[in-house]
Amino acid sequence: MFEIKHTLCPSCSVGCGINVILDGEEIVGTFPYKRHPVNAGKNCLNGRNSIDCFKNKFENVDLTNSIADASNEIKSANASDVSVICSGNCSVEDIAAIKDFAESNGFNIGFYANDLKNFEDVASYDEIANASKVFVIGDLLYENPLIGRRIVHAKQNDAKIYALSKNENAVTFNIADEISNSSVQEFLDKFKGEIDDSSVVVFNYVDEAGDLDKIESLNCKALPVFSKPNTKGALDIIDSKSADEMVELFDNTKLLLVFNDDVVDEFDYDFTKISKIITFACCENDTTKISNIVVPVKTWLEQDGSFVNAMGEVQNFNCVIGSDNLGIIEVIGELNK
Amino acid sequence: MADDLKIVGLLCNWCCYGGADTAGTARMQYSPNIRIIRVMCSGRINPSMIFKAFQEGADGVFVGGCHIGDCHYDAGNYKWSRRSKIVEDILEEFGIEKERFRHEWISASEGEKFQRTMEEFHKTLSKLGPLELK
Amino acid sequence: MSYVLAKSQNNEIHEAGECGGAVTSILKYLLDEGLVDGVLALSPQDDVYDAFPVFITDSQDLLKTAGSYHCAPTMIGDLVQKYFFDKKVAFTVKPCDMRAVEELIVRHKINKDNIYMIGLNCGGTVSPVSGREMIDLFYEANPDDVISEEIDKGQFIIELADGSEEAVKIHDLENEGYGRRKNCQRCDVKIPRKANIACGNWGAEDGWTFIEINDEKGQELIDGAKKAGILETKSPSEPAVEGRSKVENIMIKMAKKNQDATYPLVSEMDEWSRCISCYACRDICPICWCFENCELNKPYFKDEANIPPLPIAFQGVRLSHMSFSCVDCGQCDDVCPMDIPVSLIFDKLQKKYYNRTGYVAGVLDDIKPPLYSPEKTEL
Repeated sequence: MFEIKHTLCPSCSVGCGINVILDGEEIVGTFPYKRHPVNAGKNCLNGRNSIDCFKNKFENVDLTNSIADASNEIKSANASDVSVICSGNCSVEDIAAIKDFAESNGFNIGFYANDLKNFEDVASYDEIANASKVFVIGDLLYENPLIGRRIVHAKQNDAKIYALSKNENAVTFNIADEISNSSVQEFLDKFKGEIDDSSVVVFNYVDEAGDLDKIESLNCKALPVFSKPNTKGALDIIDSKSADEMVELFDNTKLLLVFNDDVVDEFDYDFTKISKIITFACCENDTTKISNIVVPVKTWLEQDGSFVNAMGEVQNFNCVIGSDNLGIIEVIGELNK
Repeated sequence: MADDLKIVGLLCNWCCYGGADTAGTARMQYSPNIRIIRVMCSGRINPSMIFKAFQEGADGVFVGGCHIGDCHYDAGNYKWSRRSKIVEDILEEFGIEKERFRHEWISASEGEKFQRTMEEFHKTLSKLGPLELK
Repeated sequence: MSYVLAKSQNNEIHEAGECGGAVTSILKYLLDEGLVDGVLALSPQDDVYDAFPVFITDSQDLLKTAGSYHCAPTMIGDLVQKYFFDKKVAFTVKPCDMRAVEELIVRHKINKDNIYMIGLNCGGTVSPVSGREMIDLFYEANPDDVISEEIDKGQFIIELADGSEEAVKIHDLENEGYGRRKNCQRCDVKIPRKANIACGNWGAEDGWTFIEINDEKGQELIDGAKKAGILETKSPSEPAVEGRSKVENIMIKMAKKNQDATYPLVSEMDEWSRCISCYACRDICPICWCFENCELNKPYFKDEANIPPLPIAFQGVRLSHMSFSCVDCGQCDDVCPMDIPVSLIFDKLQKKYYNRTGYVAGVLDDIKPPLYSPEKTEL
């Protein structure tokens, strides 16, 4: 039967609301969630396409067998050779379970947050819209449009916009007063004198860890925007690793357990060096393609949970459709048996 | 500069294309800026084709169809004629002068009309200069 | 065409519904008699600002859809087209919903015989997020305490949980950039006369719904509901009919005034420079029905390298496809992540088309946009 249900968009850490349209047991489309305070019914293309993940679920995978195989592999491995990769794609509850699973079994745990980190006190979206100067690092209008919209609002409120992007044709440049293609460090140094307490720095990448300290030491609020829906929530639970530390972890791993992440896409690393890879994933990605065992898990549409968005708001989402698969918590329960 | 002007011409196979042919075989002189695309009927021309031509750098677009009543497919040129009004309305909105878009009914025997129209259109466009879209 | 005043004979519905609860009663009649497979009606979700269409097959569930929701600017046309093509279904329509449905009917995307359209007179809708902001700013109330809202006599009225009411003039709200959505401010179709019936409180006595019966199907509906004992009707008085048309005319006059004030040249709008080619405007448009076959998806127009796109190669193409059928529902404005006032140019082109042809999208009788007509006429 036709039904519309509320959920959250899992495409990035902005935390937009989105409605999905169900026709019987199928998710057939999206519908604007105009009441949602973050995005007022506006969703970018990634957001509206996020339901494709549900449409492209694994078929012809025997759940019981794959869990049994995974369990055998894990039990026969040496705990110190096993690494668990956690992801910002998992809900807060899943991450807590993954952490617990890794720690109680003595496995290594790896979590990569694109070299970004958690800030104590971040700017809210409204603070961006009301800032007098906005320093934008990354093409946020294009990459995180619903934060980009707040930057547009700031511009309409006569704020001065300073934009930095590696892309010469960044959309953000079109509304900016000052544009730059330099490194983050040069950008910050150049405009350091203009940053005051009514400014906001909003960024979705940095070149190196030092940039983060630099931003943190500024006399203004900052907002790191992550590429995954719950990176912020994950950072509250697990310490992130740098890219180098992740590679080091891969080097010392014989059995890699990847939870809802695509490490192959993210790291320039020869994963064939790792003897066994087991992925727990909702739908096919580059990592599942090279994995020895794939355990299908529930998409965010099929379970309750919560994500923490970029400005630190915990947002709950409810299961909108039934599933034959297990959630990560349930899979871990099976593995622990 | 006038020699660099690019004109895209969408001509109906049954009449205006023949008109251009007549002009050619009779060795009538007209400015060589037009790039002719033959279509089977002016009625199959979508407004988006005109926009695409402008987007790709045309300075003017010309459409030639059969005289009203002479359509090979009965009513194609009526359809085009109604559609052309929409094109005019839309071009105006996007800052493209309406003179840059022209359409005429030219039969296969009217080589002379084709020549005259091309000369006029070229003159108009020369005055306007190259199109700058933003 | 005729007028009646109607009142629900069902106490529960009369209590929960707006005015006389006639709309809910008629929907109940349709379901109970098995005239439709189901009913699509707005139902509030988390609060009064959050409503969307729900599909109801059991008339017991209708009660939760009773009442009016001005803060839920939804569109029903594309839903009916995509998910209910072969079903018999009744649904409520604002004038823009009705116009979209009519445009889809002439495109053979909705089967007229399968649907019942229950029209609701509409003075405009308010976007939920900015609506809450507005209540916070202009009213002495917490937006969370609002249990219902109403647009009446040029005022936006909120009712609070303790029964008290507060009203502010819409004109004042709109001067400050709040109030009704921009497209509603310039909309001059206030009564959905292509729906089978058009219901509302204009000209109605307290506790009654004023209904304009637009066609035979509408008349059968009222007669049937009366016979089934769920609806009571009486003739409206002469002054009531006049009062109603007076309200309509004032609304239309206000809209025309706003029309004169808006509409910039597309090329003068700098908003296009922030377009991110997300296609949200196209995908939400009830008139755009080509979906993946859209010309903008063809390799000769799809351009992922140049963002923002050249307006003429994006909106220009869409304008040429359907601007003459634009019903000015404002959905494209609502979903644009970059807050570009897209509907403005589509409505502008529709008005230009009207000036050339006299064609108003979705309100004329069985006429296709003249662009599609096989007739041998020039403009």
